[in-house]
Amino acid sequence: MNTVHTLGPGLPVAQHATRQAHARAARRRLLVYLGLTPFVIIAVFPVFWMAITSFKTDADLVNPAVFPFWFHQPPTLEHFTYLFQHTYYGDWIFNTLTIAVLVSIITLLTAVPAGYALARVALPAAEKLGIGIFCAYLIPPILLFIPLSRIVALTHLIDTKWALVVIYPTFTIPFCTWLLSGFFKTIPAEIEEAAQVDGCGRLAAFVRTVVPVSWAGMLTAVIFAFTLSMQDFLYSLAFVSVSDQKPIPLGVATDLMRGDVYFWGSLMAGALLVGVPVAILYSFFLDQFITGITSAAIK
Amino acid sequence: MANAELVTGPFVHTRPGAFTRQRLRFGYGMLAPAILYMVVLVGVPFLWSLYLSLSDATVGNSVAQFVGLRNFAAVLADSTVRQALRNTIVFTVIAGIFKAVLGGLLAFLLMQDIRGKKVLRSLLVIPWTLPVAISALAWKWMFDPQFSAINYVATRLHLMSGWPNWLGEPGLAMASVIIVNVWRGFPFAAIVLLAGMSAVPLEILDSAKVDGANFFLRFHYIIVPMIAPILFVGLLFDTVFTLTDISIVFLLTQGGPMNTTEILPTRALEIGIEAGALGRGAAIALLLFPILLPVVYFLLRFLGRREAA
Repeated sequence: MNTVHTLGPGLPVAQHATRQAHARAARRRLLVYLGLTPFVIIAVFPVFWMAITSFKTDADLVNPAVFPFWFHQPPTLEHFTYLFQHTYYGDWIFNTLTIAVLVSIITLLTAVPAGYALARVALPAAEKLGIGIFCAYLIPPILLFIPLSRIVALTHLIDTKWALVVIYPTFTIPFCTWLLSGFFKTIPAEIEEAAQVDGCGRLAAFVRTVVPVSWAGMLTAVIFAFTLSMQDFLYSLAFVSVSDQKPIPLGVATDLMRGDVYFWGSLMAGALLVGVPVAILYSFFLDQFITGITSAAIK
Repeated sequence: MANAELVTGPFVHTRPGAFTRQRLRFGYGMLAPAILYMVVLVGVPFLWSLYLSLSDATVGNSVAQFVGLRNFAAVLADSTVRQALRNTIVFTVIAGIFKAVLGGLLAFLLMQDIRGKKVLRSLLVIPWTLPVAISALAWKWMFDPQFSAINYVATRLHLMSGWPNWLGEPGLAMASVIIVNVWRGFPFAAIVLLAGMSAVPLEILDSAKVDGANFFLRFHYIIVPMIAPILFVGLLFDTVFTLTDISIVFLLTQGGPMNTTEILPTRALEIGIEAGALGRGAAIALLLFPILLPVVYFLLRFLGRREAA
């Protein structure tokens, strides 16, 4: 409407209208930021408090007279050195990494071929099998942990990290199969077909042409094998009660009390040390996680 | 796949059965390791837990007798189990409502065109990405009866008088575990909602606008039907996670005080593992099944319908 008048005396009117629109947009943005602020504070505060706690001296921690959210004595590393000198924290890191590597290998060896078969081989039952595998991810550990505790006892894996190496793939395989099958669908079929025309068998065509271009998908699968394993608590709690065999989250949660007393400095230091890397890694891949579980709904 | 068939067309004509057979053998061969793993470590244990729940198996006694439904009768007669069942439902429903409301609000805010959205988003998803046991510990410290950071802030801001013992008082303990579950779940709800919103093609919205559909019409006829499937799957996942998560209650309250936060998973752990009564423990865990079943049923029916469409 204003364009009609722009050449005449309407020009200032148009400018005025734009200015008003700008002011309105700015007000709106301000409101959005104001609305987001409490969410951000609530989301971040526990981590901030964890961090502050783990660098405070014990005397500073329990001093009721001072503002608790800052340092009143110089920050200290004593809780961290305590973890490594007087607890099994070093073992827990080693256990966690061992579990992560082996669970990733098992997951890749099973989920990569399965995801490929679901995405590409046009099996008559592919859809049904895919949904079946998806649902296996929904069978909660709580329904399985009692019989599984017998299985790990009978195979003498109980109270060792190997029990978790064997059990964690029960939730990483279905998730990663689902994820990878989505990934394989995006790779052009021509490349493997060309290899097949050139005389490769199906398996050779898959290994030589599809696998080399699937590193991104496989890396994502590995990250999830690790972060999903880190989210477990029930299996490790039920199967591993020997201190030097625990993964970090279980060890921190069950082993850092002396008697009945919680030593919050070292507890929060132990929690921070594992929580931050896992959270950062996971947040990079969060969108894939969401795509993974919602792709069933939007294919 | 149609292309592959085309390329190998003449071959298929000469030996049709062999090609299909070879393809199927290859496909099922590729699936076999994953399926086998899942059958042995999910399928078999699941059937075994059904069997255990009908037997008097304990950790010490490997020769179990079949006892029919006696375990179920016993666990349902246990008032703690009945309370755990009630608490599980209350916990899941109330936490679900808060997650949906806060997640929806957050998704709406994050949809707006603002600067620094990436940074804000990565801060906002921290509760979901932190390992749940670690979060539970951080909150246990914030609910500490003596040094509660929450009490400190709330009393200084005059939002609260007194110094409540969050994890030690019956009503507050339940509120605490709900708070932690909501804190952990609201970013997930928001991100799922955002994923749903971004699945709505802008062209459709624009053309509806041109056709004269107002916001409510667009919302009702375009946005809701298009994001409903994603919302639905997100809701199902969250329900399953919440119903079966043990770490928050286990680490915060151990089911106390006076069983007011006891939920079925914690009770199953106490009876099945800590007390070694495998049969009863399995029966308690299976009480979750009738609650989970409709959730999974709807999911399957829903996915089946989409497949048919």
